Amino acid sequence: MRKIIYAKFACILMVLLCAFTAMAQQREVTGVVTDQEGFTLPGVSVAVKGSTAQTATDAKGSFKISISGNGNILVFKFLGMQTQEVKVEAGKSKINVSLLNARRDLNEVVVVGYGTAKKRDVTGSVGSLKGSDLIKTPAASVDALLQGKVPGLQVLTTSGQPGSGSTIRIRGLGSRADANPLVVVDGLPLGDAGNLKQINPDDIESIDVLKDASSAAIYGSRGANGVILVTTKRGKTGQAHITLSTLTTVSTLGNKLDVFHDPVDAATIDNQARINAGIAPLFIGQVYGGTYYPSLAELRGIDPNKPKWAYNTDWAKLVYRNPVSQNYTLSADGGNDKTRYSISGNYYNEQGLAIQNGYKKYTGRVNLEQKLKPTVTLGTNLIVTSTQNYGQGLSVDRSIVFPAFNPDGTYFHIGSNDFGNPLQIANEVLNKSKTIDLLGTAYINWEIIKGLNLKTQLSYTHGNAVNDNYQPRDATSTGYLFQGYGDINNYNGDHLINENYLTYDRNIGKQHHINVVAGYTQETNTVRTSDLQGHGFVNDVLENENLKSATTQFISNGLTKTALQSFIGRANYTFLDRYLFTFTGRADGSSVFGENHKWAFFPSGAIAWRANEEAFIKNISQISELKIRASYGLTGNQGISPYQSLATLGSYKYFTDGGFQTGYGPPYYNDGSNTNSKVFNGLQNKSLKWETTRQLDIGLDLGLFNQRFTLTADYYYKHTTDLLRQNQVALSSGFSVIEVNDGTIDNRGVELAANAQIFQGNKFSWSVGGNFALNRNKVIAIGGGNQIEANGQDIEAIRAPLNYYINGQPANVFLGYKFDGIVQTAGGTNPVDGTAATVGDIKYLAGGPIAVGQGEYIIGNPNPKFYYGFNTSLKYGQFDLYAQFYGVSGNDIFNFQTFTPSAQLQAWTPDNHTNLYPSVNATRVYYASNWYVQKGTYLRLQNVNLGYTLKPNLIKGITNLRVYFSGTNLYTFTNFSPSFDPEVGENGQFGGNYRKPRQYSLGLNVSF
Amino acid sequence: MNKFKYTIIALAATTMALSCKKQLEEKPYGFLSTTNFYKTESDANSALIYAYSILPDLGYYSRNFIVLTELPTEDVAAASGKSADEMLLDQLTVTPTNGVLAPAYQFPYVGINRANLVIKYVPAITGMTDAAKNEILGEAYTLRALHYFNLVRLFGAVPLHTDPVDDISQTNLPKSSMKDIYDLIIADLTKAAGMMDQTVRLGRVNQVGAEGILAKVYLTLASAKASSSPGYDFVSNADDMYNNAKTWAAKVVTGQSVYSLDPDLMAIYDVNKKLGPEHLFDASVDRSGADEGQYSKLPLFFMPNLNFRLPNGTYVPGGFNEFLTESGIYDSFDANDKRKSQLIISTIYDVGDAGGNKGPTQNLSITDSYYRPFSNKFNDSGWQTGQQTSANTPIIRFSDVLLIYAEACGPTAEGYAAVNRIRTRAGLGNLPPGLSVAQFRDAVIQERKWELCFEGNRLFDLRRSHKMESVLKDTYGKTITGDPYYFPIPQAEVNKNPNLGK
Repeated sequence: MRKIIYAKFACILMVLLCAFTAMAQQREVTGVVTDQEGFTLPGVSVAVKGSTAQTATDAKGSFKISISGNGNILVFKFLGMQTQEVKVEAGKSKINVSLLNARRDLNEVVVVGYGTAKKRDVTGSVGSLKGSDLIKTPAASVDALLQGKVPGLQVLTTSGQPGSGSTIRIRGLGSRADANPLVVVDGLPLGDAGNLKQINPDDIESIDVLKDASSAAIYGSRGANGVILVTTKRGKTGQAHITLSTLTTVSTLGNKLDVFHDPVDAATIDNQARINAGIAPLFIGQVYGGTYYPSLAELRGIDPNKPKWAYNTDWAKLVYRNPVSQNYTLSADGGNDKTRYSISGNYYNEQGLAIQNGYKKYTGRVNLEQKLKPTVTLGTNLIVTSTQNYGQGLSVDRSIVFPAFNPDGTYFHIGSNDFGNPLQIANEVLNKSKTIDLLGTAYINWEIIKGLNLKTQLSYTHGNAVNDNYQPRDATSTGYLFQGYGDINNYNGDHLINENYLTYDRNIGKQHHINVVAGYTQETNTVRTSDLQGHGFVNDVLENENLKSATTQFISNGLTKTALQSFIGRANYTFLDRYLFTFTGRADGSSVFGENHKWAFFPSGAIAWRANEEAFIKNISQISELKIRASYGLTGNQGISPYQSLATLGSYKYFTDGGFQTGYGPPYYNDGSNTNSKVFNGLQNKSLKWETTRQLDIGLDLGLFNQRFTLTADYYYKHTTDLLRQNQVALSSGFSVIEVNDGTIDNRGVELAANAQIFQGNKFSWSVGGNFALNRNKVIAIGGGNQIEANGQDIEAIRAPLNYYINGQPANVFLGYKFDGIVQTAGGTNPVDGTAATVGDIKYLAGGPIAVGQGEYIIGNPNPKFYYGFNTSLKYGQFDLYAQFYGVSGNDIFNFQTFTPSAQLQAWTPDNHTNLYPSVNATRVYYASNWYVQKGTYLRLQNVNLGYTLKPNLIKGITNLRVYFSGTNLYTFTNFSPSFDPEVGENGQFGGNYRKPRQYSLGLNVSF
Repeated sequence: MNKFKYTIIALAATTMALSCKKQLEEKPYGFLSTTNFYKTESDANSALIYAYSILPDLGYYSRNFIVLTELPTEDVAAASGKSADEMLLDQLTVTPTNGVLAPAYQFPYVGINRANLVIKYVPAITGMTDAAKNEILGEAYTLRALHYFNLVRLFGAVPLHTDPVDDISQTNLPKSSMKDIYDLIIADLTKAAGMMDQTVRLGRVNQVGAEGILAKVYLTLASAKASSSPGYDFVSNADDMYNNAKTWAAKVVTGQSVYSLDPDLMAIYDVNKKLGPEHLFDASVDRSGADEGQYSKLPLFFMPNLNFRLPNGTYVPGGFNEFLTESGIYDSFDANDKRKSQLIISTIYDVGDAGGNKGPTQNLSITDSYYRPFSNKFNDSGWQTGQQTSANTPIIRFSDVLLIYAEACGPTAEGYAAVNRIRTRAGLGNLPPGLSVAQFRDAVIQERKWELCFEGNRLFDLRRSHKMESVLKDTYGKTITGDPYYFPIPQAEVNKNPNLGK
């Protein structure tokens, strides 16, 4: 849109230019005008202040203008940019200008789903980002880059493993079935946010986040968790641009490791733990289980009969590295008034901190648009992505007393049941996945009569994934259990979407403006899987290449198909350019629901008042924008697996008559790893329907000093009812659960975003921005008359679930006992399991108010009180500096890794009557208590980016060249355990993830 | 003209879209439903197999049932470091939230629902002989009775489902009285015994098995009534029940020739002799299964978490050390009792060895706090690696029925003969003659302790003979809190079944 205007401006101004050149006299000034990123801008209006002299930049962004002796200020104007005045010093004839993007320009176009709107006309709560606002850091998907950018959009990236995704929430957790926002790419509803690997972040033109009911209701049954709209770059009319971006990154460990450094410490703790458990210690200079365990004296080198123990293995040194990762994008775009194109290719190679672990990605993209007739446009978008993921995270917690290798070069095992040698796992376990994703869209846009447009779009996405896994008998316990375990897992997903909608846009008289969208869409989603497994191989040579040769083979396959049909409608009405009304509705029919509840209707409405258009505010020149918005509406969620409304039979085998025979019947059976987690499904619910969210949003947009300072504030209240969840049924029914709709969760909060252009000039400019989001989550009713319900199965380390839904409490609170220090005197019993309390044990307080176990307490809340981000952007001459901070405050973390090696060295002993840590004990059972709970508050210097842009046209043929240095995850201010990263999952559990890297990158952008 | 052309294109696209309106109907892929099943003889067989397949599940006979019935007794204790639920069970401090209870309560009902489906749908199948139908139905009735027998002995009064559940409206039944439950058990087993033949099929029950279980049911009623064990007031006459027990046990002991006492104790527990003469009915597994439940990990519960060889040379790649044998059973054996010398392992070999033949021999002591002598009843001589074993869990054995017969007979010649057959095989002398009825029955129950230890019988024997306090508390010093005779109904059932108490 904007590019067409650029072109039109250029033409008109060229004509004007011809007329004025004849009058030119006195000194001539030349120069080049570029945008913030250094791209030359054609068609920029250049005028001499106080005179009629005017020109425009040519296709290469160059201009030439004559100024008279006294008129020495040039004014540069361009749509979408801040107008700039530049003083031309006497004697200077060459001047280069870089125009700044008009921050928060009111005419900026916002994508709103099935259409676009000008920012000033938006009635809902929409957060917008430009592609250029995304940090240039090594990221396989855009999700992680959104952290701290949009208030109310929470991003949790807990793993540092290459290619791993993020958890994204918009305005809190509002669903137990599926709380992920919907991602829409170029109008194609792709699916859940979290790992948008199909899109190269370099290809993104803009991202718009629909947060309130009015804006998200156009996505009806999938809008309840918010919608993230991604728009990829289009071709621009004019000269072709070819751009190459490269980024080379070195990663290091982000946190200092907490491991043993002295083998004497490791062995002493190990011995003590066994002695305290009543088992004979190992490190006494004996062969045990085929392994020689040196005595402590030998380890210290004070055994007169033995040399000092030779090994002190630094596992971190063997397992971790400082890998170099690479990212290259080559793109070309351009076009004429009939055809526009944008093509790009990306190669991304991220190497993990752990050896033999990495992720590679190739992305190709073509956007092509052709004007067939003045009223008919055809277009196609095509994206092909291929990824390859290999290796795994590795542990460095292994005993440092023992070497990595035997003298003969084979891997050293501590005893015969030891499968923890990380080097062997890295080198011998096959763990590889390959994916191919294809996104294709073809559309036709026809302006039937002026103002009435029909768009018909057909999209198809295909996803394919193959996972290869082989675990040799000697390397892992699974491999040992089955004498070689091989697996090939196949996934195929096909998604077909057809969308047809009419848009009518018209001014009626001078006072009324209407914009109406109406359409019909439908989609089908088919997922087909198969799994081939072999147990027991003659040897490990062929890995999983010949599964047929396995002693036992297991195959499984599955197919699920879901369908969605929808009618969409939206009407915008504007009166006097200041009173805005929006009504949106979507009727959705989904296959996953019960036969009587397939269809639902999601209406919403919004009003906005642009107060700055009123005469009494128009007079206050400082106020450039003042808009008050309110919206209310319904959105839905259909995030459950198919066939839940039907009675389905399960199958299982029984060994009889010389072999396994297959039985069929209810219930359908989900395997669980222990007795308490078996789930018997298959009880039908014909009344299964949508989960519904009602949301109220009240917002304010304020702009001061011609938008140099902007503020957006929103208050929202989200009320989600009919929660889709699995309700436990009476055990005596022979079933475990039934999928039902009941229960209520509320989220309410406040969001603020502010930007200030503190200083702006041609040579120096400085701006700051920040955002803040506060969300209060509350489980109003679990449903089914329940007061309390566990979220998740038993956790091995604490023999119980940890996270619970409790009426009146935030979701996922931790339940456990109170930690009351350490037992210092013998006698008494452990109130949790009734065993005798021994000195050095954790002292628990039971009898709490929650009737779980022996009376538990709420010991923590993983939901942050608020989270925020702020950034600052400085520009001086050709240098630019950007820094971004991100913070989370007020959440609790349940740290399963509380008893680290350094803590074990401070453990309770008869000589050290601490109340912080219990004694070490090889067989003690731990229960959930606030001993594990730590504060999760942190503030992170997420990114610093320092760049230098070469003056335009300095090198012939190069229109833009910028080099930059970028540092990511640079420093974290926190009271959380210093050896771990405080960014943990939504449930607040930390158990030791793939470590997050600190990254230093060198980048280059060059355009021709 | 052009407008017309594009209108056609647009209309074509839209009508194409609207044409598929059946799209929202779901056709489950890869799932059978009750509408396309229970049609043929092989469907009937398959439905029965599904009913059987719950038995060796880890929530039932291959794990949880043994944990629940063995830990409270003087057979085994929970090793240190095991879960609070197991510790509390060991001390007979059992609350409704104890995690071991829920599967013990739920899994029988899963089996009952599957048996009810067979009972409901198989009679209507066409193209099957009556004999084939009767065989399948008889097995289904036996399974249903077995599950209820387990439930009533564990929990007392529980809901009584006799129809399959296929809708949420059928899930919440009130408790039925123990009398009603026992009436159904007896009716089912009596019917079943008349429907089945004596064909031996591994892992499946036949006429003799049903007769044996029915004898056990009658003996439970008889002894519980005679000893005034709580809950059994409804039984009108103990002697009638002893007579019934004797009648049905006699059908197994003397009335058939398919099963008998295996002269070799070790052979009973040999996975290569699963069709041996003593196996009336086992929960069947095989190490080639895909999941636990198709294979068993039960042997690992008894074994130390070391690598070692058993005396017979079987290599054990590490147990779980879950159960510690208690002196209450270990020290109670006669020194000559083969059930101790052959079936409890006190010495292990090649400890810590990875498969070769080079490791120290380790003697296990009953007073050790961590590694103790352990039962060899669950063991797989074909065990190669890993944790998959073929060790079946016996549901009813010939020697069990022989002792039921002895107890039912009392101190008669046939009673003495029956118990002495067991003692002779164990290498012991005969019971002293001239015992009173009570002394004799106590002696048989004591014999059952030695003969059937670790197989999930002791708890029920103590409960039905009203001896929980006198044995576990007075003799073995356990502290019993709560009801020793019935476990509480699991909290999950109480929470979800509002009709339970109605």
